Parts: sequence; structure tokens; C-alpha cells
Amino acid sequence: MSEKVKVTNLVKTFGTNEVLKGINLTVQDNEVVVIIGPSGSGKSTLLRTLNKLEEPTSGSIVIDNTDIANKNVNMNTIRENIGMVFQHFNLFNNLTVGENIMLAPVELKKETKAEASKQAKQLLDTVGLKEKFSARVQSLSGGQQQRVAIARALAMNPDIMLFDEPTSALDPEMVGDVLEVMKDLAKKGMTMIVVTHEMGFAKEVADRVVFVDDGQILEQGTPDQIFGHPKNERLRDFLNKILNV
Amino acid sequence: MKHRLSKPLRWVIFGVAFLMCLIFSNTAQAKTYQIGTDVTYPPFEFANKHNQYVGIDIDIMNAIAKEEGFKVHIKPVGFNAAVQAVQSGQEDGVIAGMTITPDRQAKFDFGTPYYKTGVVMAVAKNSRISSFKQLKGKRVALKTGTAAADYANSIKKKYSFKTVTFDDSDNMYQDVTTGNSVACFEDQPVMQYGIKQGLKLKIVSKPANTGWYGFAVKKGTNRALISKFNAGLKKIKANGTYDRIVGKYLGSKTNQAVKGKTFTIGTDVTFPPFEFANKHNKYVGIDMDLIRSIANEQGFKVKIKPLGFNAAVQAVESGQIDGVIAGMSITNARKKQFDFSDPYYTSGVVMAVANNGKVKSLSQLRGKKVAVKTGTAGADYANSLKKKYGFTVTTFDDSNNMYQDVVTGNSAACFEDQPVMQYAIKQGTKLKIATKPAESAPYGFAVKRGQNQALLSAFNNGLKDLKASGTYDDIKAKYLGTGGSQASVKSTGSSTEDRSFIGLIKQNKGALLSGLQETMWLTVVSIFFATIFGVIVGLLGVVPGKAFNWLSSILIYIFRGMPLLVLALFIYTGIPSLTGEKIPAFVAGVITLTFNEGAYIAAFVKGGIEAVDPGQMEAARSLGLPFGKSMRKVILPQGIRIMIPSFINQFIITLKDTSILSIIGLLELTQTGKIIIARNLEGFKVWTIVALMYLIIITLLTWLSNWVQRRTNV
Repeated sequence: MSEKVKVTNLVKTFGTNEVLKGINLTVQDNEVVVIIGPSGSGKSTLLRTLNKLEEPTSGSIVIDNTDIANKNVNMNTIRENIGMVFQHFNLFNNLTVGENIMLAPVELKKETKAEASKQAKQLLDTVGLKEKFSARVQSLSGGQQQRVAIARALAMNPDIMLFDEPTSALDPEMVGDVLEVMKDLAKKGMTMIVVTHEMGFAKEVADRVVFVDDGQILEQGTPDQIFGHPKNERLRDFLNKILNV
Repeated sequence: MKHRLSKPLRWVIFGVAFLMCLIFSNTAQAKTYQIGTDVTYPPFEFANKHNQYVGIDIDIMNAIAKEEGFKVHIKPVGFNAAVQAVQSGQEDGVIAGMTITPDRQAKFDFGTPYYKTGVVMAVAKNSRISSFKQLKGKRVALKTGTAAADYANSIKKKYSFKTVTFDDSDNMYQDVTTGNSVACFEDQPVMQYGIKQGLKLKIVSKPANTGWYGFAVKKGTNRALISKFNAGLKKIKANGTYDRIVGKYLGSKTNQAVKGKTFTIGTDVTFPPFEFANKHNKYVGIDMDLIRSIANEQGFKVKIKPLGFNAAVQAVESGQIDGVIAGMSITNARKKQFDFSDPYYTSGVVMAVANNGKVKSLSQLRGKKVAVKTGTAGADYANSLKKKYGFTVTTFDDSNNMYQDVVTGNSAACFEDQPVMQYAIKQGTKLKIATKPAESAPYGFAVKRGQNQALLSAFNNGLKDLKASGTYDDIKAKYLGTGGSQASVKSTGSSTEDRSFIGLIKQNKGALLSGLQETMWLTVVSIFFATIFGVIVGLLGVVPGKAFNWLSSILIYIFRGMPLLVLALFIYTGIPSLTGEKIPAFVAGVITLTFNEGAYIAAFVKGGIEAVDPGQMEAARSLGLPFGKSMRKVILPQGIRIMIPSFINQFIITLKDTSILSIIGLLELTQTGKIIIARNLEGFKVWTIVALMYLIIITLLTWLSNWVQRRTNV
């Protein structure tokens, strides 16, 4: 296993509000890391700085030996290798399901429409939505939309996937399908960084669980260590609240 | 006067003059005046081949004497001798191309200046030199002791040319025609005369160091002779003799200056009987007939632009057009901005009231409202009286609205130029004139001060000729009737027009449709450029980069914040004043709408893009799509859908806003309506037709917009 992502002393401020207060985090190739923590703790911001949807204030973010905190780095090529799935799916409303998936491969990899559509159909098959290729985005349920979003992110063949609370906006009965897709992905060896409140998913799939609170990593370890033997006071509080509802 | 005769010769001439004075003084009592002149100063005085003394001075003096019934004896004694003889009282006066200077005025009484002169530069006919700057390093020919030589020497350093001096004019001219020198300097009339006599030279500069020639008598003596001279000069100028004399020696220079040229002349939309469109939509009226006849007579062409009085005046000021003839009173205030022609009509301001109105005098106006038209002598007159008589003034942009305000009783009275009022009443306006003409004011044709002098003098010459030939009286009679106000106005067609809606539409179909076409054309061209401008400015507002965003906001702020009317006037009259370049009204209109409507488009383009969920952009960027591609493929297609209703709306607004451009004289639908009403005074019916035309077009556009929206929402 080699280092895929190495975050060092990452600080992010919005105005005077310091959201990330010096994060150090390493993610190995093929590793599944789940980030948990209370709302407003900075976990989404952390995820979004990893593909520079948020500009880091200071510190370094090395991905595949490139420090993307450096302003001269061409983020567009880096992003091609980092798929991202959003809480609110963010499917392109002006395009059909198939076009959503094909857009980036056609525009960036210069694939022909035929190649791209063949690949799109395969991806839709893996997320269980083969028949939705020509559907309009608005006609899909939330769970279906999120699975299309995952397929879209995978279309560029990324080697890292970022998930930003992918199930938080879904009706409960939809959550399972999305998690299934994510589990399959993990089994295939994808490097994944997942921000989620799905503790079951964390226990089952995560190689490592990271607890973030108030812009800092307070504790990290295997699911067993974090959920079975939490050391940090605030982690224990957090787990109590969330598991004993 | 610049001849310097050698001393002995001067004395000889003086002596001869002296003797002649002695000889003739007995016989030439009160009736025969002794006038001294120069020996040879063509074209003012010189001996012709029959050895008779002729020239402008000689002919003018003789013509005046004839006109005023006195006799003159003109003696070519030489300039200095003549001047001295007058000083010593041996001669009564001197006419010898004598420039009026303060020094001379201390010793002489001058008559009315009779000729304007100045120093000009002349070059060989085929020369390319046209300005002083091109003289650098070249040789210039001069004649000793002349005012022209003094002038050339004074600018010699500045333009770094060399000079060579000759003792007489011919040698100087030859030096230029042979190419030894590139130019020479000479008095304008002398040069003109030389050229008329066949010199292969041409004048390339405007007269500099200009001065006036005057007829002079010894100070404090011979007042009677001066007043006879002045009276006679006025007469020969009025009857054309003066021009014939000058033309005989110098050629008809004004004609040459304007011949074949086309001048754009602004006029009012609504000022019958001076200007109005007849039922064939051709502009007629006293002003129109006059300017066309003069143009015809003087050999130039005119392009008439019915811009409206204020717009026409401003367009002349800004140099957009060459002159204005619009029943424009000659006032001292206006003389600061304009050069006026000789008055061509004398008018006066009258007060008019409704037919059943009880107001008979100014004093009955206390506490009442009075209607006037912007910028007219009537308005000035009313404003000067409003304090004294305690009335308030309401201002209108055209005569018809002003009349209607009085007819409906909103205002108690209006002030208008007498002939205009008479004409309107004869055309059926339900008003009556209540006062005698006041503030009698001469109307003049105007050009921008200091500009288009050739046009102005051509107008004056033409006017004189029209008066002499009787054409002027014919034109006046055509519109005002002959011999006084009771005479009936010759038909201008309006009384025989069918005044029903259908009739009005039939008669004005062509005019209305071409107005509509102009409106549509303006709208389409403007919306095209406004869309380009608006999309660019709108996108500048959303691209990364603070400077772009600021620029976008500032442009939107300025052009959305400025009233369209002000922007139109600024672009049409302001830009030419700043740059000196004329802008055609259509272009000015398109620019105005491009900026104004473009700013609104920019605002909703920006808003439309900002209304697209920011998550769309994040998702696109997270896939590795660059900003521009994300914009084109994802954001704009969604933003445009949001913008379409606003865009269609803006299209309709633009169509309506073109009506405001009637202020700069564009012949679009609204202006067309104004012009038709100016002729037939059927305000209500014509505005109804115009309003319906706008509504029909806008309804069609609304259907189109709904159709487009349905299609994009599928």
C-alpha cells in the first residue's frame, strides 16, 4: 500500500471563522476512510478542500505526489482522477441521465458519443439503473439520482472517490440502494473518503474511521477501536447521542 | 492699405491732386464731392484698357452717388496723397481699399464697412499644399511692404519656412507658378481678382488678420456725406447692385464655395406655415420653399431633416447638421451660438385664447395657466411677463399639444408667433388671437457660429435674388395669402382631406408604414447589439475576477441609471461636440438603445446565471470540466431558460422605447404621428391609430414569446 492522499497542517478560514484548524490526515491506496463528527465540525469542508472546491488557506494537500495547495497546479486534470458525490446529487438538470454521465468523457477524454454511451450504459447497469439511460433527471427519485451521480463520477475512471453525506438528503427507504453501490465500489478496491452519519456503513465498510470536531481530528482508528473503545470524551458523547436515539 | 509709393512720386501725385482741387473747387460746390483714391489697386481701383478708372471702390461710389442723387468726382491720386488731401480738407473723402483701424478712426470718420478682407495663402493650381504646416522648410513669395508680407513674417518662425520678397505682385505670382516658391501671401480680394484674371493659383487658407474696408472723411466734417454713403450702401446691398459689382470683379465666390454641395438643414416638425408635411408627406411651408429656392438659385443641394425645433438647434450646435431654418427668431442670446442670415421674415408674438375664451388682455391672466412651446420666442415672452401678470407657464414640446391645452381649457391662453397662429386658426384650430403682435422678431436662417459661412452668404445672396425676382413674395403669398391677414390661405390640401379614421389611415398609410418599418428596424438592430453587449457585460459579472465583476456592475449602474432620453441626447449631440465627428441619428439611436437595453439585459443575464444552483457548477468542476466549458455546457443552458421571459419582455420594451428616439428626429412611428398631426391637427385620431399599431405589433410579439417559452419548457 502506498500513500494516496497526504494532508499536512491544513487550515481553512472563512473570513475570521477558522473552520479547519490544522488537519493532518493520510489515506492509503485502496483504503476506505469514513469521516464522522457533529454538524459544523468541518468534515464537509475538509472533503471539499481535497479537490479544491474550497481553496485551502494554508497547509499542503499532496495527492499522488502533487501538492494541490500550490496555485500553479492545473486542478482540472487532477479532478479528472477524483470523483465526487454530493449530498444533493447535483445532476445536470438540462441533460438526460445518459448525457449526465457522458458529458465529461466526451468533453475531456474526447471519447466518441458511441464509446461514451456504451460506457454510460455499463455504469448505469452497475448501479442498477440500466433502463433510465434516456430518462430526464427530474423524473428520477432521490435514491436513483444519487446512484446516477455515482455513475457520473465513475465515468472518468477516477482512483479516488469523495462522498459528501451521500445519503443525508434521501428518504430512508432509498438509503440502502445507495449504500449497496458504495459497498460494491469499496470491495472493488476504490480509494474512498466518505463523510457520513451512517454508522452502520462505517462499521461494515471502513478501514479507518476519523472523528472530526471543531476543525480538528480528535481520534482515528479501526471501526472497532472507534465504536468499541472510544478514548476521546467528545467522541464518546457524540456516539452516545447518535447511537442511542 | 499697403502700397508704399516712392516719395518723389507721392509728391508729384499730391501736387497734381492739389492743383486739380484748386481747379475744380469752384465748379464743384455742394453737389459734387471730391473723392480721392489709389492709383492702382486692382480690383478696387485701376485703369482699364480704355484708360477709364474702374474697380469695386469706383463702382460702389458711383452707384451710391446715383442712388442718393449726388455727384462725385473720383481722383486717382495715390493712397497716401488721397489720405493727406482729406486730412487737409482739400478733398471730401477717400475710398481706396482703406482698412478701418483704431489709429485711423482717431483722424477719420468711417462710413459703414463695405468690404471684408483678410490675408490668404495661395499655391499653384496643382499643388498639394493646403496648410501652413506643409510649408516647413519651403520657400514662400511675398511682396514688399504689404500687410500680407507682415503676416507671413509673423508666422515664419512657427512654421519654419523661408521667404523671398518681390517688388510687385506679378513677379511674386510667377515665382509660385514656376515652382520656385511653393506659396504666396496676398490680400484676399486682390488674390481672387488675380485668379479670376487667369493666374494659375488657388487659395488654400481662410482669411487671416481680417479687417474691413471703409469710406473715410475727415473727422468731424462731412457728416452728411457719410450718412448719404451709408444710406446708399444699404440700398445697393438691398437691391443687389453691391453683389453685382463685387461679382463682376471677383466672380461669384459664394456660388463657387457651395456649388454642388449638399447641406443638411434641420427644421421643426410642427410649425406651419413655415414647415409641415403635406398630405404626400413632403415637407412644405415658407421656410421649406425658401431654402429650396435659394439652394436651387445658388446651385447647392439641401437635405431637409424635420428634427423638431430643439433637436434641430442642438444638432446645429453640435455640428450634426449644417444649418437650421425653423421660424427661428434672431435674438442676442442665440447670436452667441449662431450666425444668422439676413432676416427673411418678421414676426411677432400674439396671445391666443379659446374661441369662447373671455381673456382679452394680459392683465386678465392673473392666477391662470398659460401654454407655451419650449424654446420659442413666445415662451420667452410669456416667461418675461409671468411675474408681472401673475400667471403660470406650462411648457409643451409641440404646437398641437399646446393648442389643445388651450382648447380643452386646461390653459387660459397660449403665446405663439403671429403667422403660425393665423395659419393654425385657418386650419380649424378653435382659438382666436387676442392681442396685437409684440416683441416683433425677425426670423433668420442659422448656422453654428463661425461655421458654414459659405452656406450663410449663399443664403443671403439667394434671399436677395428671390426678393428681387418676386419669388419671395410668391412664396409668402402661397401660405399666408396676399395683402394682409384676411386673405385666404391657399389650399394646402388639409381642408379636402377625409378626416374619418378610415380616411386618415388611407391617406397616411405610406407614412405610417414606413414609420413602423423604421421602428421595427431600429428595434431589431438595437436588440441585436444590445444582446451582444448585455451578454458580455452580464458574463463579466459572473466570471472569476473581481475587476471584471466591478466593471460589469459599473456599466449596468451607469446605463440603467441614465434616463433613455438623456442618453439619446447625450450621444446624439454630446459625442459630436466632444469628438467633432457627426453621428447619423439612426446610429445614435442604435447606440443609445444598445447601452440602455443592453444594461437591462446584462442585469438579467447575470441574475439568470446566478439563479442556477451553484451545485451545478461544483458538480461540473468536480468532474474536471474547466470554467468556460462548465458555463457553456451546464450553466448557460439552464440560465438561458430562466432568462427567456425577461428577454422577450426586453424586446417589447425596446420596441416601445424607440418612440423616445423621436427626440433626435428619427422618423419612426411616433415621430411620423407627430408630423401627421402637425399637418392635420387630428391629434386624438392619429394618436389612436399610432397606439393601435404599437399594440398590434406588441401583441404579435407576445404571442411569439409565449410560443418560444412553450417550446423551451418541453
